[in-house]
Amino acid sequence: MLTVDRVAGAGLAVFALVVLWQSRVLPLGSLANPGPAYMPVALAMLLLIGGLAIAVLGRDAPALRSLGFDEWRHAVAIFAACAFAALALERLGYRLTIFLALLFLLGVVERKRPVVAVVFALAFAAGTYLLFDTLLRVPLPRGPFGL
Amino acid sequence: MIAVRVVLFVVLALVALSPPAIAQDTFPSRPITIVAPFPPGGVADLTARPVAAAMEKALKSPVGVVNKTGAAGAVGMQSVAVAKPDGYTLLLALSSISIIPEADKIFDRKPAFTVDQFAPIALISADPTVLVVPADKPWKTAKDFIEDARNRPGQISYSSSGIYGTLHMAMELLSHAAGIKLRHVPHAGAGPALTAILGGHVDALASGPAVVLPHIKAGKLRALAGWGDKRVAALPDVPTFKELGYPDAEFYIWAGLFAPKATPEPVLSKLRATVREAVNDPDFKTAMDKIETPIAFKQGEEFQRFFDADARRLAAGVRKVGRIETK
Amino acid sequence: MLETLHNLAVGFSVALSPPVLLYAFVGCVIGTLVGVLPGVGPLAGISLLLPATFGMDATRAIVMLAGIYYGAMYGGSTTSILMRIPGEAASVMTCIDGYAMARKGRAGAALAIAAVGSYVAGSASVIGLMLLAPPLAAFALRFGPPEYFALLLFGLLVLAYMSSGSMLKSLAMAALGLLLGMIGIDQMSGYFRFAYGVVELGDGLGVVPVAVGLFGLAEILATAGQAVPPKVIEPRLRELLPSRAEWRDAAAPIGRGTVLGFLVGIIPGSAHIISSFVSYALEKKLSKRPEEFGHGAVAGVAGPESANNSATSGAFVPMLALGVPSGPIPAVMLAAMMVHGVSPGPLLIRQQPELFWGFIASMYVGNLVLLILNLPLVGLFVNLLRVPYPYLYPAILTFSILGVYAVNGSVVDVWIMLAMGVLGYILRKLGFETAPIVLGVVLAPMIELALRQSLAMSDGHYAIFFQRPIAAALLAVGLGMMLLSLRSFIRRGLDWRARMALAEKGES
Repeated sequence: MLTVDRVAGAGLAVFALVVLWQSRVLPLGSLANPGPAYMPVALAMLLLIGGLAIAVLGRDAPALRSLGFDEWRHAVAIFAACAFAALALERLGYRLTIFLALLFLLGVVERKRPVVAVVFALAFAAGTYLLFDTLLRVPLPRGPFGL
Repeated sequence: MIAVRVVLFVVLALVALSPPAIAQDTFPSRPITIVAPFPPGGVADLTARPVAAAMEKALKSPVGVVNKTGAAGAVGMQSVAVAKPDGYTLLLALSSISIIPEADKIFDRKPAFTVDQFAPIALISADPTVLVVPADKPWKTAKDFIEDARNRPGQISYSSSGIYGTLHMAMELLSHAAGIKLRHVPHAGAGPALTAILGGHVDALASGPAVVLPHIKAGKLRALAGWGDKRVAALPDVPTFKELGYPDAEFYIWAGLFAPKATPEPVLSKLRATVREAVNDPDFKTAMDKIETPIAFKQGEEFQRFFDADARRLAAGVRKVGRIETK
Repeated sequence: MLETLHNLAVGFSVALSPPVLLYAFVGCVIGTLVGVLPGVGPLAGISLLLPATFGMDATRAIVMLAGIYYGAMYGGSTTSILMRIPGEAASVMTCIDGYAMARKGRAGAALAIAAVGSYVAGSASVIGLMLLAPPLAAFALRFGPPEYFALLLFGLLVLAYMSSGSMLKSLAMAALGLLLGMIGIDQMSGYFRFAYGVVELGDGLGVVPVAVGLFGLAEILATAGQAVPPKVIEPRLRELLPSRAEWRDAAAPIGRGTVLGFLVGIIPGSAHIISSFVSYALEKKLSKRPEEFGHGAVAGVAGPESANNSATSGAFVPMLALGVPSGPIPAVMLAAMMVHGVSPGPLLIRQQPELFWGFIASMYVGNLVLLILNLPLVGLFVNLLRVPYPYLYPAILTFSILGVYAVNGSVVDVWIMLAMGVLGYILRKLGFETAPIVLGVVLAPMIELALRQSLAMSDGHYAIFFQRPIAAALLAVGLGMMLLSLRSFIRRGLDWRARMALAEKGES
């Protein structure tokens, strides 16, 4: 039966193995002169042991199926909006990117009225830009049309 | 009251959202950005700001400084190497610009950038490093130090701002020139390196003169020799390694202005002329005085020669250091 | 003593003169703004405003920059408590119990305690700075790599106390965090570790994107889609301020946090963040009700907030007394001094008494100003919680992306924040705590560097840790603490068995 702890422990153990594999290109060094791989390898082994321990002791944990993932659609949409923002930030410029991202979040994800979404997105994009780029002189990326 | 605020906000919003004026033929028509690849408070930053201010005066157009830090300067330098070559993005680089590609080569990495991705505009300052030791150490002259190092190879420790960094390479050049072996304790930047020697945790440090001057004057550190062609103006009693018979131990923490290679020639000439004017600005001179960095202005052929010679020296030095062997 | 009072009087006359007062005020306001914004911490704030200070007089410039610094420390607690987003790295611990208090309707109390704790810590530590700067600084300088390593090992022990759940899971998270901290250039050998060609990862993941992602973004991902929006008990006006019981609970932690933060702060290096972590662990260990931690313990807010405020004054000790750049922020302040023609160094206090004493006095004033600024704003801030969540979280996201991007102007940081957000979301679902990860990311590079530097200094001999008195002492104390906790662990196990036996006897 798949319990939460078994999955988590296994995941951690797998990650530790990946780290061990990736560290093979770095010199290990010795105890007196540790190389760049020394600490990562030591930590990865600790994580491996920890992950395995969690998995093995995880018999009494709640079942994986019992986890509520109801909000996953929302979470994915929010993530998509943020990923878009990261991609577009330096290409479309700050104001345009934030405007589009907020429009998406409020209009599509939260299903607010279009007018409300547009006003909010516009106010926030322009307002935060004004506060930080113009007033506080935090350089924010500009896109085409100087936006 | 509210109405005034609303109007103000709307006006400001319109100003903020409006596209820039149509680009004129004359350069510059937009603000210029100088990228300083080191954190604020460091040599690159402290030099970049007076330069930007003076250039702004000469060009009558805004010139700003942006700090893009990371990877000992590689992040900022790489960003300018791939930036649009229109003259609006410049780089204030330190001598590490020659070191980083060489270090990448040693590790068989694709270099973050190469030196020929840049077109040099001008050299602004060239501080030779000086060798300092804690004042309570027995060495009174550089000769004492070098002799002691020969008698006890690998026993005398020194701190640096990081492996293959400027302060490390300076010591390496000395080690090879004098045939001595020292023990290197890298630190995470010039600040921690200075703190380490002030706390007596290491025996020596190669440092830019500006930051150690107050400590020398206060009697906490002693300067033994300098890596320059000439003696440091603020330390007239400190000989150079050249004088002491080690001409290969020449190292400067220099700061120079660069542009992406493909920047058009007329823009480059305008920038060069601007820097020439900026360097002679009295406000600039006072600012540089305050941070105790003498101006060493070089342009064109002179700068190219200086840059090439320095790059050659450093490349050879990095190759000699090679990869640190871990047994 | 008399001379100190006289100097202080001179300092106050400088600090209370209208122009200097104005600059201190401006600095505090900007600092609060900067601190409230997720991600952008005091360092970014100071660096951005450094050029604006060039035309000013040296004292005014330094006073303004210092105002930004501790103002940011005050402001950082606001978003931590209200929205579980760390305003800057040092506020991560406040997120845990502060937010839990907010959920219970005690947001106002949490904000007030944080503000008052910060004020007490700030003022008391300024006194420490004033009276003890030179001798303390000399002591702090004796912390070299071996001492630093021993101290950071302490920090690792803290991880064991941070968990309110399974210790095994917390340790696994700590190991994960430590591993994530290994990304970047290895300072000792020059190798790029786990960076896969991305130059921006050269300095590691960065604690800011990791903290904002693991706490802020993960929180939003987990709660935004809930069918029933998060229930925040809205406090009545009367309940805005802490109750007498809460003040009583907060008093001792504030005192301990002040002393602890100051001591940790004077040590050169970025030990700032560690001060709030260690304070949290200390409070949990000393508390009569440790099970409260993680669910809204007052001490869990009072201690860390005081600690990170007094650490700011502590950081100034080596900077002012000896001209030593004891961390990235003091380094910028030193540079600011140089730019204004003040030569920082061991003779600063003697050569520039107006600057030093004016600075000290302005810190008193500044702390008071911030308290006056923040307390009335508590009511305003708590009302922010009334904004419907569907409007609130896009705003938080905007500020988070803005803040994380602004630190270094790098989109890579935003991506790291996203990745950490997803990781935090998954880990929350699976029942793991994420705070140890942040501590691990912060500690890992420092511990490794300190260890390898010490070995470089001693040419590979581990004896160096025992030959140096401070390092040996710290290690001994750490070992002692570990043994003590092991003993209580065993005793608890025996106790449990005894209790079981009693229960069985009672039932029969």
